[in-house]
Amino acid sequence: MTDRRRTNAPSGGTSAPVFVYPVKGADSLASQRPTRTRAPDELRKIFLKTGLVPSASGSAYLELSPPSAPPSKTLRPSRTSLKLTCAVHGPKPLPRSAPFSPHLILSTTVKFAPFATRARRGYIRDSTERDLGVHLETALRGVVLGERWPKSGVEVIVTVIEGEEDGWWGDSIVGGSSGAGGGGWGLMSVLAGAITVASAAIADAGIDCVDLVSGGVAAVVRDVDPKGKGNTEEGLQEGESLVLDPCPAEHKEMVAACVVGYLAGRDEITEVWMKGEAGGASDVLLDKAVYAAVASVSVVKEAVRESVEQKYKDVLGGGKGVFRGPQVPKEVEMTG
Amino acid sequence: MATAAPSLSFPRDIFAALSPSPFLLAHLSPDSPSTNPSRPNGRAPFEFRKPTINTGSLSHCSGSAVVRLGDTAVVCGVRGELLLASNIPNPPVLPTNLNSDREDDAENDASELSSLSLLVPNIELANGASPAHLPGSPPSTLAQSLTSRIRALLYSTQLLRARDLRIIYTPPPSEASGDDEPSEKEVKAYWALYIDIMFISLDGNALDVAWAAVVAALRDTLLPSAWWDEDAQNILCSPSVSDARSLRLRGLPMAVTFAVFKPTELLSEGEQDEENEEEKAWVLSDPDAFEEGLCKEVVTVVVDGSGGKRRMRRIEKRGGGVVGREVMKGLVRRADERWREWSQIDGLKA
Repeated sequence: MTDRRRTNAPSGGTSAPVFVYPVKGADSLASQRPTRTRAPDELRKIFLKTGLVPSASGSAYLELSPPSAPPSKTLRPSRTSLKLTCAVHGPKPLPRSAPFSPHLILSTTVKFAPFATRARRGYIRDSTERDLGVHLETALRGVVLGERWPKSGVEVIVTVIEGEEDGWWGDSIVGGSSGAGGGGWGLMSVLAGAITVASAAIADAGIDCVDLVSGGVAAVVRDVDPKGKGNTEEGLQEGESLVLDPCPAEHKEMVAACVVGYLAGRDEITEVWMKGEAGGASDVLLDKAVYAAVASVSVVKEAVRESVEQKYKDVLGGGKGVFRGPQVPKEVEMTG
Repeated sequence: MATAAPSLSFPRDIFAALSPSPFLLAHLSPDSPSTNPSRPNGRAPFEFRKPTINTGSLSHCSGSAVVRLGDTAVVCGVRGELLLASNIPNPPVLPTNLNSDREDDAENDASELSSLSLLVPNIELANGASPAHLPGSPPSTLAQSLTSRIRALLYSTQLLRARDLRIIYTPPPSEASGDDEPSEKEVKAYWALYIDIMFISLDGNALDVAWAAVVAALRDTLLPSAWWDEDAQNILCSPSVSDARSLRLRGLPMAVTFAVFKPTELLSEGEQDEENEEEKAWVLSDPDAFEEGLCKEVVTVVVDGSGGKRRMRRIEKRGGGVVGREVMKGLVRRADERWREWSQIDGLKA
């Protein structure tokens, strides 16, 4: 089907390149699987910065960086880093055609860039992206004090520049598994990141909230060699362990995973998404996801504090007014 | 309006929003001749913003670049996918020597690429980059026009070589046909390049930044070495970086945009009372979003000064008659200077 508003692909259709590996057996390939070097209860480093889109009322950028690795000798990345941007537009009046609303209408959009994942994404939002958008809305709706903006709407737009993978690329060759949930493990980290980045952007936009929400993920994984990694919690089966902030490529098998949107100040959960078969460990899994969210909220707090300091530098320093945008050296008198 | 209130009671951003054109005019026409005119963003009329480029940050792309120009930020990712020759409905006529690399093949290359539409640039604006482009709607007119201009530039500047995108297969000499005749080479597949341009933040001058991102990403692109496998009846690629090769681009064309601010056409009729006042207009280099909203006339010059030769690749001018021959000459000169600035930046440096 051709899209007359975009440049279309060649009419013959294209396919992703097929890579071949030297026939050294699956063992040597399996050794290339990235391993988790951080502790089971340690998160990846979060880089969070607000205010990168000046024309939006609030914006933030989040990056989860993998531990520094030597430059890869292959063209297939074994590890990726999650990169998300979020822009908040509004609150602004609803269009005249919209029915009356006594509170703020929150609309969330999550979109993957075409180059965000291993398989190329389309330009039009697909069902996974819409689903993530709904999850994000649930996580945020309870946080924003919507009654303060009747008849208004706000747009929260999260763009995934680089997504998390559902598993290691070698899994299809050496046999690993995407586990019980049928894949989609990467989406869990994407959702947690989206909650965190949206929370920072909403705070940057100055929209009143009950608390800062943050996202956290925990997972039950089965590793290649368990060697006592992870803490053996009750309810886990042989060889399984619990990790915070899982990177699906680093584990042989994902058994279950859980994302929460958590308000650390009020000890409330606004969103839970559990996937896979956690069995008896589902309570522990939920607790661990909350731990992860508590850890990431500290990053949000820091970023928000920085953005406030930046924004009200003039006021705090005794300056005249707040003007968002490029700072100009002198005032120009308006005459005639 | 300003006569009623000699002392300014509004903050400047409110004033800019209420009466943008007089606001810009007041900035550009200084009170005393000794002070230089400056724009609301603090730049002189002919001052450009300083670009920064970061390449290779996306792991799923063959090549990528992030370009920032002031508050405009763009991510561009290039991704190579394979188009099998057997799937091409009307294969183009190929030159006899498939490995030929002469410069005068540029035109044939461009027609080969465009007839196969191997370059697929697309611009995404509706991701919150600016309040004017919100998601949930088809690409806006601006996004469509930018996409088409980028595509036209890719083909008309003849940046890419068809040879880099061909995958050639030489069949082993068959025993029946005799051994003295070398077997015929054939093109089994092409690399199609998906060039996706995503605006993170939009503050004017979208074309310059998007184009710079495309060029930087293409320079960063590494295509894996690929060959036709007779047994698999498919194209296979080597995953090793050392086998991969980069694209050899022709030159380094850069787009430079100017906007022309002509206040009289924007003021309401009552304010044009002084007929004898000479019409004034300002040419603003590298306009930001606020200035773009006030300028009707826009000039884009694409120049290429690589290899010691200074060539003009494209001139685009629309929306007014202020820029005449003389002014245009000056603009081309400025574009040439700006090209030198671009070519000194990491990511575009030779």
